[in-house]
Amino acid sequence: MSDEEHHFESKADAGASKTYPQQAGTIRKNGYIVIKNRPCKVVEVSTSKTGKHGHAKCHFVGIDIFNGKKLEDIVPSSHNCDVPHVTRTDYQLIDISEDGFVSLLTENGNTKDDLRLPTDENLLTQIKDGFAEGKDLVVTVMSSMGEEQICALKDIGPK
Amino acid sequence: MMQQQGGSADLAQLQSTMQAIEFACSSIQMHMNPAAAEATILSLNQSPQPYKACQFILENSQVANARFQAAAAIRDAAIREWGFLTTEDKKSLISFCLYYVMQHASSPEGYVQAKVSSVAAQLIKRGWLDFTAVEKETFFYQVNQAILGIHGVDVQFSGINFLESLVSEFSPSTSSAMGLPREFHEQCRMSLELDYLKTFYCWARDTAVGVTKSITESHSEVPEVKVCTAALRLMLQILNWDFLYKTAGTKTGIDVFSPGIRADSSLSKRSECTLVQPGPAWHDVLISSGHVGWLLGLYAALRGKFSCGGYWLDCPIAVSARKLIVQFCSLTGTIFLSDNGQMQEHHLLQLLSGIIPWIDPPVAVSQAIECGKSESEMLDGCRALLSMATVTTPFVFDQLLKSVRPFGTLTLLSTLMCEVIKVLMKNNTDEETWSWEARDILLDTWTTLLMPMDGTGGNALLPPEGINAAANLFSLIAASELRVASASAMNDEDESDYLQASISAMDERLSSYALIARAAVDVATPLLTRLFSELVARIHQGRGIIDPTPTLEELYSLLLITGHVLADEGEGETPLIPNTIQTHFVDILEADKHPVVVLSISIIKFAEQSLDPEVRASVFSPRLMEAVIWFLARWSRTYLMPEEFRDRNFNSGHDHEYQFRQLHSRKALLSFFGEHNQGKLVLDTIVRISVTTLLSYPGEKDLQALTCYQLLHTLVRRKNICVHLVTLDSWRELANAFANDKVLFLLNTANQRSLAQTLVLGASGIRNSEASNQYVRDLMGHTTNYLVELSNKSDLKSVAQQPDVILSVSCLLERLRGAASASEPRTQRSLYEMGFSVMNPLLVLLEAYKHESAVVYLLLKFVVDWVDGQISYLEAQETAAVIDFCMRLLQLYSSYNIGKISLSLSSSLLSEAKTEKYKDLRALLQLLSNLCSKDLVDFSSDSIEAQGTNISEVVYFGLLIVTPLISLELLKYPKLCHDYFSLLSHMLEVYPETVARLNSEAFAHVLGTLDFGLHHQDTEVVNMCLRALKALASFHYKETHAGKIGLGSHTKGIKDQQGNLQEGILSRFLRLLLQLLLFEDYSPDLVSPAADALFPLILCEQDLYQKLANELIERQLNPTLRSRLASALQSLTSSNQLSSTLDRMNYQRFRKNVNNFLINVRSFLRTM
Repeated sequence: MSDEEHHFESKADAGASKTYPQQAGTIRKNGYIVIKNRPCKVVEVSTSKTGKHGHAKCHFVGIDIFNGKKLEDIVPSSHNCDVPHVTRTDYQLIDISEDGFVSLLTENGNTKDDLRLPTDENLLTQIKDGFAEGKDLVVTVMSSMGEEQICALKDIGPK
Repeated sequence: MMQQQGGSADLAQLQSTMQAIEFACSSIQMHMNPAAAEATILSLNQSPQPYKACQFILENSQVANARFQAAAAIRDAAIREWGFLTTEDKKSLISFCLYYVMQHASSPEGYVQAKVSSVAAQLIKRGWLDFTAVEKETFFYQVNQAILGIHGVDVQFSGINFLESLVSEFSPSTSSAMGLPREFHEQCRMSLELDYLKTFYCWARDTAVGVTKSITESHSEVPEVKVCTAALRLMLQILNWDFLYKTAGTKTGIDVFSPGIRADSSLSKRSECTLVQPGPAWHDVLISSGHVGWLLGLYAALRGKFSCGGYWLDCPIAVSARKLIVQFCSLTGTIFLSDNGQMQEHHLLQLLSGIIPWIDPPVAVSQAIECGKSESEMLDGCRALLSMATVTTPFVFDQLLKSVRPFGTLTLLSTLMCEVIKVLMKNNTDEETWSWEARDILLDTWTTLLMPMDGTGGNALLPPEGINAAANLFSLIAASELRVASASAMNDEDESDYLQASISAMDERLSSYALIARAAVDVATPLLTRLFSELVARIHQGRGIIDPTPTLEELYSLLLITGHVLADEGEGETPLIPNTIQTHFVDILEADKHPVVVLSISIIKFAEQSLDPEVRASVFSPRLMEAVIWFLARWSRTYLMPEEFRDRNFNSGHDHEYQFRQLHSRKALLSFFGEHNQGKLVLDTIVRISVTTLLSYPGEKDLQALTCYQLLHTLVRRKNICVHLVTLDSWRELANAFANDKVLFLLNTANQRSLAQTLVLGASGIRNSEASNQYVRDLMGHTTNYLVELSNKSDLKSVAQQPDVILSVSCLLERLRGAASASEPRTQRSLYEMGFSVMNPLLVLLEAYKHESAVVYLLLKFVVDWVDGQISYLEAQETAAVIDFCMRLLQLYSSYNIGKISLSLSSSLLSEAKTEKYKDLRALLQLLSNLCSKDLVDFSSDSIEAQGTNISEVVYFGLLIVTPLISLELLKYPKLCHDYFSLLSHMLEVYPETVARLNSEAFAHVLGTLDFGLHHQDTEVVNMCLRALKALASFHYKETHAGKIGLGSHTKGIKDQQGNLQEGILSRFLRLLLQLLLFEDYSPDLVSPAADALFPLILCEQDLYQKLANELIERQLNPTLRSRLASALQSLTSSNQLSSTLDRMNYQRFRKNVNNFLINVRSFLRTM
């Protein structure tokens, strides 16, 4: 067990672009994995053997956490896989601009204005509707391997 | 039957109805507007008294489907309206159907005939208990006339078919629902069995016998064949009846709900074969009348005709005759006189002589089938052997054949099966061929013969010739299994799902093989030893030269077979050494020469070679290692350090010398691997092998799971093994590796949990309590320290989300959970400290991982298991601390999750998120239930009230936090739903006064879910809701009676924000429950709990109840029905001396009233 020392996290993508090696056999359903250079959530793991008396291999089915596409991979279970560093940060939603960006309030009082709204109609309405109703919304932004996206909304009620 | 008014107008009306139905039927067939067509047909079914129209259609329509629907409509309407049809109406409906069937016997649309026949049968059954014997006689006279053949063959056939529908209608497993209680069906079944079944059988038999001559004498198929086949089928059906009322003397006083005591329970061995036990009354018909001889003669005559036109091996009459013959083989019980089984033996011998040509000589039979002959006769022959094996002892079974052949039945069985296995080996395919099926039936036969019959585990002894037969068979089986294994070694199947299924099927087969091997254990054990050493020698010789895979697969297979032969599956018990193995080797006096010891040692020595890295790499593939671990686990459960030998079975028999030697040999076998002999050494070897599989097979999850769950668990299950385990260096090495070795952090987390549990359980082998607690602290100290340190880190928020940290935290939480679930009184202290020390860190981690649901779930599960293991031991102060922690945990969880919506492009990720939420909530509910249990089981020295803790308050508070998270959407998960409602009903039953104090919003939410639960399709859930409702209402009623407020303001109607009056909850539920009982679909099992809830509700809300009852009556327009309803409602609350106190007696009376009430009125309320 190593607790690596972490000195400094520069704001946006330090650490976020990182992936970590992890033995394939230890990756479970609901964990994360990099398949074809995309960060995925594992939705299915099965093991089989290479030939009856060979070694075990793992078959992963993952779903890209950003674009929802399904990806698959087979790795010998004693080999290492890349596991993406996925972080999630909560921000309070201040504004939705007309050009498709959101304005978010960070913990230390600054604003973060570089995040685009999702293009998917459905997700967009869920965010916009909530905001339009005047609720106090906290959004959770998920970032990994240099990408970020809003992944959850939470109504914290009127102040 | 209805009043005739205006003949011609009526006729026009009938014509138009017929056309409408005909049109609907044909449009359904052509898929044109099926919904409208179905509605038309349904309206006929549901209209009041549609009989005339239906009869008109049946008699006049040219469309067969319309006639079919008309028959169905008669059935539905009559069953519904039965209560107020006159006796004349009922009888005329039945007569109409019967007459119709006979009249149209030669109609080509058989399915319409069958339908009308079954409608007649159902109506007769519906009125069975009301019709007088004379009325029934009238119906059956008509049927009997038909069966006698006076009106020709077609009518005869229809008559038999009608009896078939009737019998199947009266048999509980095939009867149709009629909205009546089970007692009704039971009474009908008893009446038919006692008074009619035998008569029907005789009618069928006489018919068949009557036509036999014309069948056997003609050279081609004659029309009578159809009648004969139907009669044979009816006889078979009657012999399949589950006879309960065998002794004619005790007709009365039989409890309809108990299945009756089977006098011959010793005979009903575990087997698929159903026994036919009709009792002494049937003796004359089935046994003494030469009936069997006639049947065998009939089939023999048919056999002679198979070359003629119209007959072949699988023609319906031949199939029916064979089935009946096989059925006769399972005839047993009191039908045979108590003459030492002579009569039954004679019966079986007669059958066997008839069956022998089907299966003997085996070689010729199997060759003929391979050349294209149908296999069905041979398979039926095998089934007949199985049936005979079920009703006899092995000895009698073997003797049967001796009077007609120079060898016994067992020898025939063995040769037959050898032949089948040879065919299987020859055409080694995956397809299910006849040889598969024959093998399975014959294997069942062996199992039935050899399975220990009584609880003592004593096997029935085979005669010497039988032992030889078993030995021959087993060696062929072993050879064939090895051949199959080596041939399949190169198949690289990726179908893991399929594999699992085939393994469990194989397990069953292997258990049967084991029984055969044990029957000839003196031959089988040395054989296995020889095969094993040959394979091991082959693998070593070929190392590095030839591909070992086929040999590895053979070893794999042989290990499985050997494991099954030597030991039984324990299923949680400690299995003893199989009796045959204990008693058989009489001449072995030196333990190390005992064949079982020799075999065991050779396998253990082989397994030990896996410790050598070089041999491991070249020989011990993961799959072979799986078999080794499996074998060691199964073997250790039985042979390793068995309980000390006590000679209880030593009763001074006639052969002292023999018994003494037998005893000695048993002792030798039992003590060889005992604590004072080789036991400790072997234990050490096994632990070292386990450590190797965990450390040296990276990523082999299945192998490691076997090691953790099967082998290591087995070892710590018995205390006498633990005592030695904790003194072994190898065990300390394992514990040390667990705490410190990085490699063990790479095991699957569930395996780490299991390993933690195993290691903690090992503490039971340490004699002193302080030392065992210290052992646990040493084991788990690293884990708690790591979590404490991590939670104190200032940069936790960023560090926590790193994948490697997530992995470590997950592993540690799983380890904690494993340790927590190993909680025992002796180690309780240290496990409490373990959990106590991580309480605050866990809350910190819950915050850090609030978005990482996989970690949150592990965290919650640890808390659930820890609380479960600890709560009943905790003292008041500790309880307060734990409860405080749990509440903070619940609040934190709720604050992070309430109102949160996941957004994702992927629907499967969204549904995963929902599943995760469900699992979390289920864990939280379990946590609350575990807290609840403190009120039921408490070992602490002082009352928890001392610290001001009130469990009911705590759990309510918890429920308040949790319920807002539970949406109706989530309640669709059955397990969550179940947990939630069982907790809720428990709370309402045990602590109704606490719920009364809830604020109105919370109260409304709880009751909203109750409302949802009442309409759930799972009966168990509805039942729990009804119990909850009963508790609420009776609480309120009792309290208000005593002058208290009860549920207080909750029962009052309030105005909601829109100004609408919302009625109080009890009124609401009274309305709801009445609606449910009268108008909706539910299982009959729910009537009693619903009555229990309804009773106090009515008492609480008498005014409303009166109002609802009046409304019901007023809605009823038909004056007859109106008065029926009024009197039914009247007697619901007044009959059976019902009074207004809530005691057991009154509840029971009210249940009865509700039952009668529903039978009376539900049918017409629902349709009009």
